[in-house]
Amino acid sequence: MVNYSYFPGCNLKTNAKGFEKSAIAVSKKLEAELVEIPNWNCCGTVHTMTADNLMKRIAPVRVLARSRKHVEELENSSQDIVTLCSMCNSTLKIVNSEVLVDPEKLEVINFQLEDDEETYSSDMEVKHFLEILRDNIGFAKIANKVVKPLKGFKVTPYYGCMLLHPEEAKIDDEEMPSVLENLIESLGAEVVFSPLFKYCCGSYHIVSDEDIVTRQVQKIIDSAMIRGANALAVACPLCAYNLDQQQKMLMEKTGKKEAIPIFYFSQLMALAMGEPVEINHFEDHKIDPRILLKELKFK
Amino acid sequence: MSKAKTESKNTKKETTGNVKIYIMGSAYEVPATLTIMKAMEYAGYKFTRGSGCRAGFCGACSTVYRKEGDFRIYTALACQTMVEDGMVLTQLPFVPADKPTYDINNLTPSANTILRFYPEVARCLSCNACSKVCPQDIQVMDYIQFSLQGQIDKAAEESFDCVSCGLCAIRCPAEIPQYHVAELARRLYGKYLMIAPSYLDERIKEIIDGKYEDGFKELMALSKEKLEERYKNRDKE
Repeated sequence: MVNYSYFPGCNLKTNAKGFEKSAIAVSKKLEAELVEIPNWNCCGTVHTMTADNLMKRIAPVRVLARSRKHVEELENSSQDIVTLCSMCNSTLKIVNSEVLVDPEKLEVINFQLEDDEETYSSDMEVKHFLEILRDNIGFAKIANKVVKPLKGFKVTPYYGCMLLHPEEAKIDDEEMPSVLENLIESLGAEVVFSPLFKYCCGSYHIVSDEDIVTRQVQKIIDSAMIRGANALAVACPLCAYNLDQQQKMLMEKTGKKEAIPIFYFSQLMALAMGEPVEINHFEDHKIDPRILLKELKFK
Repeated sequence: MSKAKTESKNTKKETTGNVKIYIMGSAYEVPATLTIMKAMEYAGYKFTRGSGCRAGFCGACSTVYRKEGDFRIYTALACQTMVEDGMVLTQLPFVPADKPTYDINNLTPSANTILRFYPEVARCLSCNACSKVCPQDIQVMDYIQFSLQGQIDKAAEESFDCVSCGLCAIRCPAEIPQYHVAELARRLYGKYLMIAPSYLDERIKEIIDGKYEDGFKELMALSKEKLEERYKNRDKE
C-alpha cells in the first residue's frame, strides 16, 4: 500500500462529493490510498497571470508546504501531492514550477510563511490522480480489479481545458490525449471519440452569462451524442457542473428530450470495481446516471 | 479564558519597578506589574468602552500596539497582557464589522450559506494574518477555509474558543469579519449537525412533568441564611 498526500479542493467537499468518495474508494482498492491533508486551504485559483502578484501565490505555496509536512507523517508515501480537481491541479502545478525556476519569488512568499513554520523548499511534485493511475498503477492493474465490466457504456472522454493546458500543468498530450481513453477501455466500456474533447465548457461565465455556457454545452453534448455516446467522462467539477446543469436547462427551455449523464472518471471506476453505488452521490446530478444504469441493466 | 501573554520572550527582564509606555503618543511611567488595561487607568484614563469582564473572556478590550524600534504591529487583550518598557499603546473601543441578519431556522449548513451572508470569505488569500493576531491562539484562517469548504463542523470546533475581540477582522487583507463567520458556523453546527444527546429529551420531559417543582418551592421558601448554609454544604464534584 502506498499513501498519497491528497489535496481535495473546495468543490470536492461541496458540489462534487461523489467524485471524492468514489476516487478514495478505488484508490484503496488499488493500494494507492488518497489520504487527505488535515488542514488544507484554497489552492489559490484562479491562477493570476500577473507575474508579480505574490499575494495570490501564498495560498498554493502554503498548500505545498502543508502537503510536505503531511508526507512526513504518512507511512510509505511519495513526494507527491495528488489532486482530483483539474483546476486545483493546474494552479498548484503552475505555481510549483514558477517558484522552482524563480527562487527569489519563493523567498518573498516564504517570508510570509516563516512565522507559521510553513515555508516551502520546492521539494514536492503535483500530480493529478489520473497521472497516478497511468504512471504508478497502470491500466493493467486497474483492469484486473474490474469485477463488473461496463458493458454497453459508450463514453466520450471530455478533458476540458485545465488538464491539457498550459505547458506546466498539462497531464497528457494536448492534441492527442489518451489517459481517459485508456482508462475507460480498461473498465470494459467503449470509447466514443469526439473532436470537441477540449472545447471550452463555458467555465466561469456560468456566474455572469449563463447563455454562453448553454451554447457551449449544447455543442459538446451534441457532438458526443451524434457519434453514439451515452455518457461523458470528466475530471473537472466546473466542467461537470456546467455540462450537467445546462443540459437540464436546455431540456426545460427548448423541449430537448435527450440528455446524457456526466460521470467523473472515478465514478465509472467505482461502478466497474463493484463499489456500492451510493458513494457516487448520483442524487446530486441533474441528469441522473442511474437512468442509464437501469437501461443497461447494470447492477 | 485568554492565555496571558507577554509578547516578548527576550525583553522580559523585570517585574518590579517602573516602565515607560506611550499612550496615544504621550509618555507615562507606570509600574511594571500592571496589565495594559490597569496601566492605562493608572495613567488617568477611564474606560467607558473597550473594557468588559477583565478576565479574558468577553473580548471587549482588543489592543493594538507597537514597541519602540520594532516595525511589527502587536495585538492583545488589554486585560490579559502585561505592560513592557517602550510599548506604544492605544485601546480599540470597538471593531466595526457588518453583521447580516438571518433566521437560523431557514438555513442549510453548507458553504453556500456562509457565502450568501459573507461572500468576502471567498477572497481569503490564506495569508494567515488572522491566526497570527488571535489572542486565543485559534487557527482562524483554517476555520475560514473550513467554512469555505462547507466543513461547518470543523469550522465550529476550531473557532469554539473565540471571544469575538475582532482583531482578526482588522488585520485581514480580504476584509473578512472572521469572528462573525465563526458565529454563523457554530450556529449552523448547533442547529443542524450536532447530535443532540439522548438525555436532553428525557430531562425536558422531567421538567415539563413537574419533577423539580417541589424542590424549587422548598428552596424559594428558605431564608437567606439557610440558603447560604445549603450552598456551602452542596455536593461538589
